[in-house]
Amino acid sequence: MNNLSELHLDALAEVFSIGAGRAALSLSEIVGDEVRISVPFVQVINSKDINSTTLSLNSGRFGAVSQHFSGPFNAEAVLLFTEEQALKIVSDMMGSQMSLEELAEFEHEAMCELGNIILNACLSAMADILNFTLESSLPDYTVASADEILQRLKANSNQPYVMVLHIDLAIEKRHTAGNLVFLLSSASLDNLITHVDQFLGKIS
Amino acid sequence: MPVDSSIKKLLIVDDSKVSRMLIRTHVLAQYPEWIITEAVCGEDAIAHADSDLPDYCTMDINMPGIPGTDAAEQILSKHPSIKIVIFSANIQETQQNRARSLGTILVAKPVTEKSIALTLNYFADSK
Repeated sequence: MNNLSELHLDALAEVFSIGAGRAALSLSEIVGDEVRISVPFVQVINSKDINSTTLSLNSGRFGAVSQHFSGPFNAEAVLLFTEEQALKIVSDMMGSQMSLEELAEFEHEAMCELGNIILNACLSAMADILNFTLESSLPDYTVASADEILQRLKANSNQPYVMVLHIDLAIEKRHTAGNLVFLLSSASLDNLITHVDQFLGKIS
Repeated sequence: MPVDSSIKKLLIVDDSKVSRMLIRTHVLAQYPEWIITEAVCGEDAIAHADSDLPDYCTMDINMPGIPGTDAAEQILSKHPSIKIVIFSANIQETQQNRARSLGTILVAKPVTEKSIALTLNYFADSK
């Protein structure tokens, strides 16, 4: 297992909280109200050890926005909310009294936009602070069961590591929790650690 | 021995060790003689402000316990001479307004030479 110290994880959590701050600013402009996004902690684990507890995946269906990032650090990033929470977020973003059926029509587009905002804010904060450039693909949204998501996360043998960001999101006093999962190859994780070390080297 | 008035006391409040290290490093690069203390949450910051009476304080918002803005309000009500900069990634209008209403400013993270310069300028201007 690659060596991530507490200081590495602290640095990553700080980088992502800056990303979360940027995402909250963008989202607050969309919903016209205060948005709170925080990243309470970051975990890096072997994908074979990932389970429903790690991701707080209970029963039910989940909305997953995924996007590929490439650069010195290649990753597939997946933002996960329960479908029920996803619909509430969409409802907040659309800002109207739509029925659930009507909201479902916008779910795909609104969740892609939400994913795009959160993922790019986190990745751009990382790129700025750790000093590298990342390219991103277009976001894709799927709805799947917890089992399907776990199988997909474990199935990719080229990316044996997962970095999990636990995300708390509150729009208009409504609190939701989700996860942002990065699937990483061993080489990408090593590159990421090297960049964090370079960053920490400047201050220690 | 007379106290050198150019030596200032700075309290850094942030739950992230990396952020505290960054702020400390940048500030000491410019003012190596400053005395720096650190607090990891709002409650801790209030206790430090009472015991150390710093000249300046940088305050994060999102921390375990009370928000940094609430801690800043409590500190300023007891020690209005302390100059506080809200130093946070939470850069929404509501937080900018809150900082203004406390008579302070909000400087956006990340901690860089630029954001530290804004902070130090604010401290210097509000002597």
